[in-house]
Amino acid sequence: MDLDESFSSESSVDSDEELQEAFAAGKLRPGLNLELPASSKTINNTAGLNQTLLTIKKNLPWLERLDVTSKPATTHKDLISQSETDVHDDFKRELRFYCQAQATVLEVIPRLHSMSIPTKRPEDFFAQMAKSDDHMKRVREKLVEKQTAIERSEKAKKLRELRKYGKKVQIEVIQKRQKEKKEMLDAVKKYRKGQKDKLDFLENLPGEKKNSQNKKSADNLRPNKKREFKNKKFGFGGQKKRSKMNTKSSALDMSEFNPNINQKKPGKTGKGKPKPGNKNKRPGKARRQKAKSRKK
Amino acid sequence: KDQLFVINEMCEMRNCSKCIYLEAKKKQDLYMWLSNVPRGPSAKFLVENLHTMSELKMTGNCLKGSRPLLSFDQEFDKEAHWSLIKELLIQTFSTPNHHPKSQPFFDHVYTFSIADNRIWFRNYQILEEDGSLAEIGPRFVLNPIRIFEGSFGGPTLFQNPHYVSPNDLRHLMRKRGAQKYMSRIQAKKSLEMRRGQPSYETDPTDDVFVTIRPEDAEEDS
Repeated sequence: MDLDESFSSESSVDSDEELQEAFAAGKLRPGLNLELPASSKTINNTAGLNQTLLTIKKNLPWLERLDVTSKPATTHKDLISQSETDVHDDFKRELRFYCQAQATVLEVIPRLHSMSIPTKRPEDFFAQMAKSDDHMKRVREKLVEKQTAIERSEKAKKLRELRKYGKKVQIEVIQKRQKEKKEMLDAVKKYRKGQKDKLDFLENLPGEKKNSQNKKSADNLRPNKKREFKNKKFGFGGQKKRSKMNTKSSALDMSEFNPNINQKKPGKTGKGKPKPGNKNKRPGKARRQKAKSRKK
Repeated sequence: KDQLFVINEMCEMRNCSKCIYLEAKKKQDLYMWLSNVPRGPSAKFLVENLHTMSELKMTGNCLKGSRPLLSFDQEFDKEAHWSLIKELLIQTFSTPNHHPKSQPFFDHVYTFSIADNRIWFRNYQILEEDGSLAEIGPRFVLNPIRIFEGSFGGPTLFQNPHYVSPNDLRHLMRKRGAQKYMSRIQAKKSLEMRRGQPSYETDPTDDVFVTIRPEDAEEDS
């Protein structure tokens, strides 16, 4: 019985006093603490590991293994800081791997060259690649797509900028014109009032260019073609399509009937009989043909 | 576990000395065994963050069968278990010189680095001899679980203390949700207990017509 009691009291691990002691000692942090299974099973048989390493180690020449241990190369050293290796900073992590590979490449290639082993694949060497041509085509298409998307967005941005700039320029031009007009009027007024006796302000007028260059000719001031068509169709009283067709009332309308024209026989004021002398004025067929051949 | 011994026999039949065995469990977790088949050591890893070669962001390409250059981090030489794993990796991944199925030129490099007690693998294509690289092939992270003395079995030489099995991880995540609710309930209860009983009855409308004397008002501000 005694044993049972003591056993039960010992088995209550998280009794209040013990927790308080642990908290005071700084082992616990505030918040709800989860009890992880105690990892007493960490086995690290260093001696055994080393032993096995020696047994399996093959002393092959380096050319068989091609393995290199390398620090990351110094090309992007400013971007990687050797001390802090935060795994979750993707960019830095990948950069570190990239630099490590670079360092290896820079070490191995000269070494292979010194052993007179060709390392670079010549252009005419065709063999099966790890990724099919189809796949590489898709990869290239994706890259091109990204490129065009970037270019399109750039163009859109530029257009937006241009529009803003264009608006600014337009406002400036309008203001300049207004200023010039005002100055001109002032100069004219002064001349009229007798303050300025010379008429030089009329010499250098800004609008004096060739007429062809001036886009504001009468032709260009006509309305749009579309506008013209619509005017013709709908303007000045509606449709003219059927304006010349007869209706009942217009067919019975006799106000424009002139009997002198339509009911009298021709002859009084007409041409009359052609004179017999008329024929002589035109040479005959043979004469005409001779004239024709002579002309040629 | 019985099935793993069969792999040894299969390898012996085919005259292989190294074996990479990938097993997927629950259609969620992928484990990789790397083993020296006759009687050498073997290591079991959990494969995480796997991206295959068919991803369109991997733009590099290499000859099929060309011998890889292997690049290791300096951390591999600092601990015994990392050194053993390094030796296994070298022997498994390096292609023998003048192997009949290998291609003669060197155009890709495998990178093994250690970060956060895991091995990160990358495969780069060597574009130019001056060191410009493009990523080809798969990328994954190996989380070592155990190293055994025998092939696919035997006494354990090393067990990773930082390793949490994916099942345990999922269990913890689920429990965390439950913990939030439980701790809220408990906080409410403890507030009730701590609040105590009101010592005498007060009328809340007593404060309505209190006028503060000017001297007291100045003190407060």
